Formats: sequence, C-alpha cells, structure tokens
Amino acid sequence: MSWKFFSEALFQKAPHALLVHLLIVFVTVSLAIVISVPLGVLLTRRNYQRFGIVALNILNILQAVPGMAVLALALPLFGLGLKPAIIALLVQSLLPIVRNTIAGLLGVNNDVKEAASGMGMSARQILLEVELPLAMPIIISGIKTTTVYVVSVGTLASLIGAGGLGYLIMGGLALFRFEYLIVGAGLGALLSIFFDWALSYLEARITPPGIQVE
Amino acid sequence: MQFVNQNSTTIVEYTQNHFELVLTAVLISLLLWVPSGILLTKSDKWARRALAIANIIFCIPSLSLFAVFVTIPFLGLGRQSALLALVLYAMMPLMRNVYDGVKNVDRNVLEAAKGMGMSTGRIMREIRLPLGMPVIFAGFRITVVMTTGIAAIATYIGERNLGRFISEGLVRSNTNMIITGAILISVIAVGLDTFLGLVEKRVVPRGLRVRR
Repeated sequence: MSWKFFSEALFQKAPHALLVHLLIVFVTVSLAIVISVPLGVLLTRRNYQRFGIVALNILNILQAVPGMAVLALALPLFGLGLKPAIIALLVQSLLPIVRNTIAGLLGVNNDVKEAASGMGMSARQILLEVELPLAMPIIISGIKTTTVYVVSVGTLASLIGAGGLGYLIMGGLALFRFEYLIVGAGLGALLSIFFDWALSYLEARITPPGIQVE
Repeated sequence: MQFVNQNSTTIVEYTQNHFELVLTAVLISLLLWVPSGILLTKSDKWARRALAIANIIFCIPSLSLFAVFVTIPFLGLGRQSALLALVLYAMMPLMRNVYDGVKNVDRNVLEAAKGMGMSTGRIMREIRLPLGMPVIFAGFRITVVMTTGIAAIATYIGERNLGRFISEGLVRSNTNMIITGAILISVIAVGLDTFLGLVEKRVVPRGLRVRR
C-alpha cells in the first residue's frame, strides 16, 4: 500500500470513472423506466392481459441469464463502447420494473377503481390519478432493484470498453495495485448502497400512511 | 461449433470447476443461513439488524466484493475469496426468505397448534417449516441461479471456470470463445432455474405456491 498510488487512484482516476459509471446508470435506468412502466401498464389493460404471462415468462428467463454473459454477448453483436454496454444492461433491467408495475396495478383495490368510475372518471383519469399513484411505492421498489443491479453489473461494463468504476478494479487486479482495487470497489459499493438508501427513502416518503406495511 | 469440438476437454474442466464452486457455496450458505434465518425469528431486534446487513452486502457490486477480499492477506486470490463472497451474497435471498417464510405463518394455525399442546420446537418442525416451504424454496432457487451467475465473475480472481471463456475471449477478441462461454453459462443458469421451478411445483402444495 502506498499513499502515492492511493491518491493517484482517488483524485486522478476515480472522478472520471465515477462520472462514466453514473452516466451508465442514469441512462440505463431512465430508458428502463420509459420502456417498462408503459409496458407494465399495457399488460394490465383488459385487451392485452393475455400477453402478460408470455411477456413475464420471457423476461423471467432473461433475468436468469448472468449479467456477465449478457455483457459478453453484446460485444459481438454491437461492438465495443458505452452503447453496447447500456443495451446489455437495459435488457436485464426491464423485468423488475415491469413485474412491479404489474403487481402494483393489479394490487389496487377494485372498489377504489369502481368508486372512481362511479364518480365519472374516464379510464385514462383512473389510471393516472388513482391506479398509478396507488401503485407508485411498488413501482419505485422495482426501480430500486434495477438501479442497484445496474450499478453492480455496471462494474463489468469496463470489460467491453465502457469504462466506469470497473475500469479501476480491473486495472487494479491486472497490475496488482490494491490501492486502485480499494478505490474502485469501495466507490462502487458506496454508490449502490447510496442508491438503495435514497430510493428506499423515496419509497417510504410517497407511500400513504394508510397502506404502509411493516 | 468447431470451437466447442476442439476445446471439449477444457470446457468439461471449466464446467466441473464451476459446478464445484457453486455447489460448495450453496451448501455452505444452506448450512449457515437457514439456521440463522430460523434463529432470527426469536428476536425482532436482531432480525432487523441482520437483514439490514444482508441488504447492504447484497448491494455491493460482485466485482467489488471479490476485489476487496483479494486484498485481505489470508484470503488472497482463489477459492477462499470466491467462496466467502458467494456465501455472503446468498445471505440476502436465503436468510431473508427463511425468515419471512417461517415468520409469516397464519396466526390462527399457530394458535391451533399451541392449543393442541405442541411444543415450540414441534411447531417449528411440523407447522412453521412446512408452511414456510414455498417462500424458503423460492429463496433457494434465487440463490442457486444467482450464485451460478456470480461465480463466473470469480474468474477474475483466479477461478478457472466458465467465466474464463468470457474473460479470455474478450482479451483475445476471440468471438467464438466469448459466445461459447456466454451461452454455456446462460444455458446452465436458465436450465437450473427451470429445473428448480419444476421441483418447486413438486415440493410445494398447490394452494401455497408463490407467484414469481
């Protein structure tokens, strides 16, 4: 261990790696939300419900595939760099959000929905003003799962040239420089714990007191 | 395909190593986390603490955890570090599900059992564990599939397993090698998941099945 390498890793290499990592996480998670939430909503509408089980099964199978394998397969298909890494991560970040959106929407009490339509709300209004807000805590919990997953597997994205914190870890392993390892690994761990904590807080904040579960 | 034929011995060797690691890790996890999950039902305070720790560990990126263990002198490169990391990862799905399964048994059933004069130990063995089985088995299934996936990453700390095809293939830009490795691992993981899903159907009474 030497302070020289440690400070070099922490102050010169880490900021850029961290920024790239955050970029990967934000882009992937935003895309995942934009795709998954509408998909989840669509799969709970009456006309499309029969596709729901098929879609969930496909996503379930995709989920069992290890992240490393998906990233590795992205290389021959899409090449090196950030974009392939994001596509690979995106494939696996869909399931938790879709599943939780469906679970959340199906969990909304039927009486509430009937009351809403009795008040003269249109289907669209019911969705936006009743169902989605009530399902929101569960959807956020799915987003949390996805975010933590992307931070975690994102460290492997450096394998296909996307950079990020994995770059420091891989470099540290290759050169046997423990200082790099500790900085990269530590920041990765802190980042995902932070996201987990922040989204848990958000989840708790937007859950109405009446439907909180211990 | 040609790649597979030419390297069949290596493939068999790596697959064996992979399964050895996964099997050992899962066995240790079962021995460690199932009893501790059951013990945790005795104390809410400790349960909250232990589950919080498990959650934090589960958040840590796997590559990070492997990397950190390598720097600890007596662990170093190789199997001990890999095993320790895998077992710690299993803590979250396994211990949590055992705890949930055993804890959340219908109160009326428990009262009935107590009323029949069953001891705490007997309630655990004959009521809580069987009724919690669906949740416990779901946790076991997640653990096995997850461990198979993460074990591949252990190749970076010196494990000679299927992950090696991916890491070496990436370094040598050998597409066949990458694809072979990735597909083998995926097939094994999906296969295990499907197989355990079928076992789940056998083990778990119809009325108690968890929807995943």
